[in-house]
Amino acid sequence: MVRARGLTVLIAATVVAFACGSTSGGPSGSKGTIKIGSDLPVCTTGGQATANGVKFAVDQKNAAGGVNGYTILYQSFDDCRQGAYSADAGVENVQSMLGDSKFLGMVGPYNSAVAKAEIPIAAPQHFVMISPANTNPCLTKEVKPPIPACTFHAADLRNGNPNNYWRVVTTDDYQGPAMADYFYKTLSIHDVGIIDDSTVYGVGIAGAFEAEFKNLGGTVAGHSEYQKATTSDWKSILLNLKNAGAQAVYAGGTDDQNICIPRKQMKDIGWNAPYGGGDGIETTNCIDQAAGNELNMYSTSAGADATKIPGAKSTIDAFKKAFPGPNDFGGYTMQAYDAANALMAAIGRSINDANGGMPTREQVRAEMAKTKGFVGVIGTYDFDQNGDTTLKIVSIYLIQQVSDPSQSTGVCGSKATTLCYVWKDQVNYASS
Amino acid sequence: MESGATALKRFRSLTMGGMTLPDYGFYVISAAAVVLLAGEAVANPTAFVQITVFGVADGAMYALVALGYTMVYGIIELINFAHGDVFTMGAYISGAILGAFSINENSFTAVNLVALVIVFPMVMLFMGAINITIERIAYRPLRNAPRLAPLITAIGMSFVLEGIMFMWKGPASIHFPDILPHGPGFQTTIYGVFVGFKDVFVVVTAIFLVALLAIFINRTRLGKAMRATAQDRDAAQLMGIDINRTIAATFFIGALLAGAGGMIWGLYYNNIFYNLGFRTGLVAFTAAVFGGIGNIPGAAIGGLLIGLIAAYSDSYVGSKWTEIVIFGILIGVLVFRPTGLLGMRVPEK
Repeated sequence: MVRARGLTVLIAATVVAFACGSTSGGPSGSKGTIKIGSDLPVCTTGGQATANGVKFAVDQKNAAGGVNGYTILYQSFDDCRQGAYSADAGVENVQSMLGDSKFLGMVGPYNSAVAKAEIPIAAPQHFVMISPANTNPCLTKEVKPPIPACTFHAADLRNGNPNNYWRVVTTDDYQGPAMADYFYKTLSIHDVGIIDDSTVYGVGIAGAFEAEFKNLGGTVAGHSEYQKATTSDWKSILLNLKNAGAQAVYAGGTDDQNICIPRKQMKDIGWNAPYGGGDGIETTNCIDQAAGNELNMYSTSAGADATKIPGAKSTIDAFKKAFPGPNDFGGYTMQAYDAANALMAAIGRSINDANGGMPTREQVRAEMAKTKGFVGVIGTYDFDQNGDTTLKIVSIYLIQQVSDPSQSTGVCGSKATTLCYVWKDQVNYASS
Repeated sequence: MESGATALKRFRSLTMGGMTLPDYGFYVISAAAVVLLAGEAVANPTAFVQITVFGVADGAMYALVALGYTMVYGIIELINFAHGDVFTMGAYISGAILGAFSINENSFTAVNLVALVIVFPMVMLFMGAINITIERIAYRPLRNAPRLAPLITAIGMSFVLEGIMFMWKGPASIHFPDILPHGPGFQTTIYGVFVGFKDVFVVVTAIFLVALLAIFINRTRLGKAMRATAQDRDAAQLMGIDINRTIAATFFIGALLAGAGGMIWGLYYNNIFYNLGFRTGLVAFTAAVFGGIGNIPGAAIGGLLIGLIAAYSDSYVGSKWTEIVIFGILIGVLVFRPTGLLGMRVPEK
């Protein structure tokens, strides 16, 4: 008899615990929790700043009552291994999310090579991925000549499944040429040397730059690839480019592949020339790597600068209040904020489709595909049927000495805190 | 069906006009490389000299690390895989200590000079002590074990050291203070060839340290004991030489050089990362084998040559090929001329 009573108490306690658990983490009256994840290289300053954007959006949404009565639980996954992004780590993270039925979507990844590995895994599960930063065009479409053809194809990644991948930034087939145009027409540089870091992103953007630069009539003094693991010394490469007549260097790659250390070594060999790159160099880590030779570096960013959009300022100020650290705001923070909001908006509509109940991943995906006229911090835009944004703006930044770093929307160095990327110009490819 | 070892022996003993076939192969390949290089030198002498300058600087650093490999192999026939990480740790520790001084990275101040003079011997002694400890706990207990055991221990120790540096400063590459004189005023262009103070510093320091080593090995009692132990351990012991002390001294001196090499690498490149020693160690080991394993002058020459070959390969063949070239040399030497350039010096059996 005593045992039966004990068992009853135990069962009752368990039932109560479960009942309480399903509404934990939310305000009383919340219908439940929905999880969204992010897969970003948070071991880097840029990756963490991007994750901050997602967290800010989720916190804001929850404070305003959640999404159609549901509380959003945000989990940040790290796809770093040994200090740099890893496609394998990304795949593991996505598999974790897929295994937990509460995850209805994710923001990320940050790096194109990781997306290439993740889309084939997420597509069969109709799991929504919205990247705040992937710029390799082949993830969503085929490229047109003179840009070198894709070595992998969007259709193969999806393998017959409906599209589950969107991005809020535009692509390298615009980013690379934007810098090529800027070098050739605005800076009057007609001979350039190119280096890239042998990665999916680096090779892609350097190739796009080279194609456009030659198309304009420019000369490429040389195009060198390197591998991070075996290269400490770029001086020979740089001297070869300089002696071949290069007036500037274009660097395709990311800071975790040491793409900005050649910039420092340019100073060691006494070569004073501009250094350009894609969004991979528009980071704090890159400014740090350039130690002593930061000025006269140009970068592009695959999106509009938030300061150029009316109404963005209040969001940025609110963000900086919630995240006051000097490197909390990065080049993709606002893009991640928009991505998170677009995802949560799609989740909201899918809850309606599910008549107020927990939606399926396919319902979220279908609603995401129907996104029209999304009003974000980086602009108002749609997504096309490939998953690309209709906003095709590339911004150009230059590192300058800045008197008040907190006023700059470009990123700054962590030691050289007054050297920041400052917006210079933007190109809108939507009309072309 | 002949075994591979027998076939190799047969290949090695084939003679033609008094010289073995493998030697022929070695000389033919070397001659071809020299001829191609000479062609490039004549075509663009300025570029050739420039590349040589960088190659010599790189080679000097590889030589400092190669010496540690060769000395340890010469005395206990162990390939000390952890040696490259001793080199990296030297860079890490010197970078950390230098950070404690108020050094100026934009101009060469008196503080920079004082820091340099103080930290150099400090980091050398520090790494010497660490290496003695490693030898004591990881290798000495295995001295009479089958040869594979200390080899695997060395690999494990290499990962332990890398892990320590990973946990200490993280995985991203780290900036090493740029305290040597640099910039306009400390660099010059001679007939179009760019030479900076740093390039000269690296070479001069390396020569100085190698010269000290040579004097030590040839003119001191401990040096003589090291040479005796390397030649025949039992006979040395019979003559009253303390083997344990001598071997420990070998590890100590090897680490002095590697620690100095690490600090020099940091001062030159201003950028280090936790597994720098993995590749650098392999290249330095290749250099030691190239010069003749166990042979101290061989390691120095081998280091210099490998540095030059890597630089020429980077520029003339393409940096994508350099790894293949360097480790192709390792394979080539072991197949065609295992004694290396100047001959091996390993314990007599």
